[in-house]
Amino acid sequence: MKPQNIFILLFALFLFACAEDGQSSLTPETSISGQGGSLARFSIVGNYLYTINSDQLNIFDISDASQPFLKNTQFLPSNDVETIFPFSNWLFMGTETGMLIFERQAEGTVQFISRYDHVRSCDPVVTDGEFAYVTLRATGCRNAAEGAVDVVEAISLEELENPQIIGDKELNSPRGLALDNDVLFVCDGPAGFWVFDVSTPGTFETITKVENINVNDIILRNGIAMVIGPNNVYQYDYTKLPTLTKISELELE
Amino acid sequence: MSTRLLFFLLLVSLSSCFERMVDIPEETIGLAPIYGEESDKLIQLMDPQPIVSLYKIYYKAPYIYAGETGRGVHIIDNSDPSAPKKIAFLQILGNSDIAIRDNYLYANYENELVTININDLDNIEIVSRLENVFDKFVGDLFPEGYSGFFECVDPTKGVVIGWSEKILLEPQCWR
Repeated sequence: MKPQNIFILLFALFLFACAEDGQSSLTPETSISGQGGSLARFSIVGNYLYTINSDQLNIFDISDASQPFLKNTQFLPSNDVETIFPFSNWLFMGTETGMLIFERQAEGTVQFISRYDHVRSCDPVVTDGEFAYVTLRATGCRNAAEGAVDVVEAISLEELENPQIIGDKELNSPRGLALDNDVLFVCDGPAGFWVFDVSTPGTFETITKVENINVNDIILRNGIAMVIGPNNVYQYDYTKLPTLTKISELELE
Repeated sequence: MSTRLLFFLLLVSLSSCFERMVDIPEETIGLAPIYGEESDKLIQLMDPQPIVSLYKIYYKAPYIYAGETGRGVHIIDNSDPSAPKKIAFLQILGNSDIAIRDNYLYANYENELVTININDLDNIEIVSRLENVFDKFVGDLFPEGYSGFFECVDPTKGVVIGWSEKILLEPQCWR
């Protein structure tokens, strides 16, 4: 193999390793971690596994992947935390009443930054660091308060200490969501899923929508959207939006 | 009390009826809880299993891990995304979440964090168990990600490890 080719190969491997664990920034690493959806309560960043357990964030040191140990327990200012989403040095948590933002710090500790509250419902969160998107689901949410609605909200993180809602869009019963640059995918339960252009902050411009499937959560990876519903795993190629091409549908009966 | 007020009260009470009351069918197809038995309290890799209700998704090349709350994860070979293949079911009673680093899969199992070496799927190995790091899983009181009628959970029967379809007579639970 020519040295040039080896270089290209190494570079490709390097890129691949980055993509596998793109949310790590505190610790450089060679280990490869998987990728969860927005409904996850477990998340690996750097050498730590962050887990949510109602009002606790348990932080496990996994520098030796085979022998994790509990490094730290952080009590959360909310006893209904449902999801965790890491971005850069932050941890975003979806709670039944909104969103919490923590900063990851050295030695497996975290620092509370801020919270954003709304009416009690069910809601995961994703972010690109500039904006956060949360879905609020009242339909089929056992603890939803009266007046809770089914929407996706855009929240500005310009002031991280003071997150502000800048826009929303009403949906049917939104659940998991995922963001790739300015393209936001939102699972809408039995109503299918939406693909929105969110390049204009606070607006949700529909690029396309897939109907007649029931979906809960989604992972975006290398131009493929992996979408999970109660009985199926669907995969779509989204590199040629607004065209969304179904690659496969696995029915798990 | 004025007639108008009475009318208003009637409307209010009616509207609360409309919100709360559901027509309970005499017979319908819905979900019924599957209660775990002692023998189910195992972490083991099994042949592909039928699914009841998937909820979460996790990916680490080349596999998709499709989570079934309370039971475990279906492992799907996604080497070819146009032809994904269900290859195994990792049973972990009371599990809701997983994460994977290298060859190690972390999962909540009852109140424990369990670390499983999945390098060789034919020969998985539990390499670490940390107890008392989570609240004990008591089972779902409702089928996650499902809307419709279901048989109410009776906690005296044990931990709910899953849900199956069943013909229900006058079901008292729904969501």
